[in-house]
Amino acid sequence: MRWIARRHGRDGLPFTINRRRIYIVPTRFGIALALLLVAMLIAGLNYNSNLGLGFGFLMTSLALVAMHHCHRNLLGLRVDVGGEADAFAGGTARFDFTLHNDAVIERCDIEIHCGDGTATTSVAPQGYAKASVDLGMSRRGIARHPRFELRTRYPFGWFRAWTYVQCPLTIFVAPDPRGNLPVPAAAAGSGHASRSERRGEEDFAGLRAYEAGVPLKHMAWKVLARGGEPAVRSYTGLAGRPEWLDWSTLEGLDAEARLSQLCRWVIEGEVARHPYGLRILGAEIPPSLGAAHRLACLRTLAAYGGGSAP
Amino acid sequence: MNALKARATGSGAPGSGAPRDRVTFEQLSWISACLGLTLLAHVTTLPVWVTATVVACAVLRLALAARGRDAPPRAIRLTLSALAIGLLFLQLRTFNGLSAGTALLGLIAGLKLLETRKRRDIYVITMIIYFLSLAALLQGESFWLLSYLVGVCWLTTSTLLRLTNAAHSIHRRTSVRYAGRILAQALPLAVAFWLFFPRFGGPLWQLPDNGHGATSGLSDTMSPGDITDLAMSDEVAFRVRFSGPTPPLEERYWRGPVLHDFDGHAWHRTGPVHAPGLLFRGPAYHYTVSLEPNQHNWIFVLDWPSESNAARGFLTSDYMLVQPSPILQPLDVTATSYAHAPAADPLSATMRARDTHLLAGRNPRSVRLAHEMRDAHPEALDYVHAVLQMFREQPFFYTLTPPLLGAEPVDEFLFGSKRGFCGHYASAFATLMRAAGIPARVVTGYQGGTYNRFADYWIVRQSDAHAWDEVWIEGQGWLRVDPTSMIAPERVEHGLNDIVSPGHELTSRWQQRTPWLTDTRLRLDALQLLWRQRILGFDQNSQEKLLGLLHVPEPDGQKLAIALAVCLILGMSWLTWSVRRELHVRPADPVSRAYDRLCRRLAAVGLPRMPQEGAEAFAARVAAQRPDLAPSIIALCRCYTQLRYARDPTRDAAAAFVSAVRAFRPRGSRASS
Repeated sequence: MRWIARRHGRDGLPFTINRRRIYIVPTRFGIALALLLVAMLIAGLNYNSNLGLGFGFLMTSLALVAMHHCHRNLLGLRVDVGGEADAFAGGTARFDFTLHNDAVIERCDIEIHCGDGTATTSVAPQGYAKASVDLGMSRRGIARHPRFELRTRYPFGWFRAWTYVQCPLTIFVAPDPRGNLPVPAAAAGSGHASRSERRGEEDFAGLRAYEAGVPLKHMAWKVLARGGEPAVRSYTGLAGRPEWLDWSTLEGLDAEARLSQLCRWVIEGEVARHPYGLRILGAEIPPSLGAAHRLACLRTLAAYGGGSAP
Repeated sequence: MNALKARATGSGAPGSGAPRDRVTFEQLSWISACLGLTLLAHVTTLPVWVTATVVACAVLRLALAARGRDAPPRAIRLTLSALAIGLLFLQLRTFNGLSAGTALLGLIAGLKLLETRKRRDIYVITMIIYFLSLAALLQGESFWLLSYLVGVCWLTTSTLLRLTNAAHSIHRRTSVRYAGRILAQALPLAVAFWLFFPRFGGPLWQLPDNGHGATSGLSDTMSPGDITDLAMSDEVAFRVRFSGPTPPLEERYWRGPVLHDFDGHAWHRTGPVHAPGLLFRGPAYHYTVSLEPNQHNWIFVLDWPSESNAARGFLTSDYMLVQPSPILQPLDVTATSYAHAPAADPLSATMRARDTHLLAGRNPRSVRLAHEMRDAHPEALDYVHAVLQMFREQPFFYTLTPPLLGAEPVDEFLFGSKRGFCGHYASAFATLMRAAGIPARVVTGYQGGTYNRFADYWIVRQSDAHAWDEVWIEGQGWLRVDPTSMIAPERVEHGLNDIVSPGHELTSRWQQRTPWLTDTRLRLDALQLLWRQRILGFDQNSQEKLLGLLHVPEPDGQKLAIALAVCLILGMSWLTWSVRRELHVRPADPVSRAYDRLCRRLAAVGLPRMPQEGAEAFAARVAAQRPDLAPSIIALCRCYTQLRYARDPTRDAAAAFVSAVRAFRPRGSRASS
């Protein structure tokens, strides 16, 4: 593996598979077929049968042509994938691969292998196909796959051609959101009410321009349906006093339990549309809201301790 | 949180391999069909119960699959397998050899079908199908068999293709077409392999073979009426090509088994006894006999053979050409024969005793007749003529459907029915000779043959089978006498088919009345001979000739291996090129092709067309970057746009565009832009 990595260097995306990068070996059935072909040859020679020999040679050539077709099935394929994904511990991370086929033939049965996740897809002539690979994540941290692999056994399963794409895939595995402690009063500030009460304060305040990451339920669909610009309903009460989700308030718990609790608070804060900031050892994210903020918080939690997940 | 942790619905959840590995009903039925078609080629040689078992297994498995059920339990399968294979061994006593191995493989394929659960099992069955096809070809030899089996192999391969295709996205027709294309690409390489792979003369090791096909043609016993069955058969016995003069019809007797021992009913052949040598006289005939496999060990040659090039063949004392092992493969033998062969020495006492022996008390009336006639004709030759005259003058009839004869067949034939076939006449004549003390023997073989004027050779069919006699005349040696020719001279002159009584249907009768059909048959037969000589008979000598044609000096095995290697390298390069070329088939339309060329040339000087750019936009960008190219590129691209979008672009305009693109050769590189 290491010499392959050294040989190829790091690949940029989208990656076009060239012939120097395709490896091919016979499968178990291919080896069995090879033995069969040898048996055919010996039988043909022994019985001095020209037809038998001819048939044996036809099968041999068939296998050789199949080898070329198997190799070709990957050749020139263009593959693209987002290099990062997010997951919660105990959940799955999903990578969406896109395979582009510029050729005029169909690419059948392309398998994508990444870690222990696989996906199989076929790509139409001069078309593209999407395939998702789901990876099970058991522990918090940052998981890295230095490469992924495209494989094919098409057409007859006698050969297996594959290529390694040396493009690291990174997965930020946030802690499993657990723990049901309330947000500490000290951190939330005085005069703080329960979440349900606060949600009552969310009053419609008017429309503002759409920006990416806004929850769908806040979209002003009627405005859009009337043919207007995409707009978002905004509410008052959202910008109440920001909460600080603070590592140091969770004394008496071990590190992973604290991270799990913080993670849960982050998710709840986002659902409740109440601005929140995160403060853990070595990192501080000022209070805000939105998908990007949430992602930053979760990734900070995932990266805590600098540890990488297996 | 729920949104993120929601169950993945991707096309490939981890560990999803197991369910898609299960075979479907469709896959099972296709592989069963392929196996059935392969076994069809073996159906005549397989034990009937093996075929029945395979069919039963397939039906049972398909019935289970149709109900969505899995293979039967392991215990049942194991018991069944052990039983079937044990039974086969009890029947055949060996698994060695072609027919036994074929039966075993067929049985295993059927049993495997029964236990098929995963795709892996079907892979095993496809391998067995490939090997069974080969086994059929080792036994067979016809072009049609080869085509049939290649067809079956094609079907099997396309089934394999759909089996490998995990997504089940390939349509049946597409898979057949794709497998066909792969097969077609394999063909040139296979031909190169076949031509240049070194052949060895004999087998690598001898395999025992029992029940290897049925024997055909003449056997080494003859009872009156035996040849009648052959007379109905249009099957080719052998073909002959004369180099030099062709003997006249009355000399074209193809010598087969010579029979000495008569039990009163049938004639048999026993081991040879030393006989006098021959002095060959008369015109010599040189010819090549191309024998069809007949499972016997004699080679048919023209009367009287003097020498041959048969590798292990030898002439017996009664001048049969014999080889030690049965003829299982098509065989070509070049031989020389002479029209006359007087004996050099007198007949030995043992030989004379054997060839005058008659069982005492059998056919008494014939023996009495012989004594009476011999008394009237003390000269042996006179006696022979007298007997022949009796056949000619008395109402003897020649028929393919003679009445059945009882315990004393010669008596009943001579004095009762007087109707018979060549076997009856030869047998009766030899009996009369022996009863009179003249050494006589029956020779079976073929007489005549059909001339193929399209390729200058003679076809001898089973229907040309004949039986005649040889008598020993002191001072002259063995003399050929054909008593049948006395009864129906046309039979010797024209062959059998013309003298068959009108009520009797012979397959070739109507065929001979339609000349164009006869011609077609002759042409087909000429092709068959070509197939035999060029394909089935391809050997070391042919390979050396082939190398000679390629101007290789002093061809030998080593040069052959080099030629094979060269072919392999060329073939693989061609394959690589042609397989990759299919990725980017150029458009058939000349205008599109010219436009592609234009874009390629511009890309070569650092101006690639962006995928989103149309012709006009591309031209504008190129013109801006390379003012020197501006006029030509703008004109070309405008022309292209017009050709694409104008209502009726003329052919001349298209041609002008193509030649303009051909002339357009931008120079310079990135540096100048």
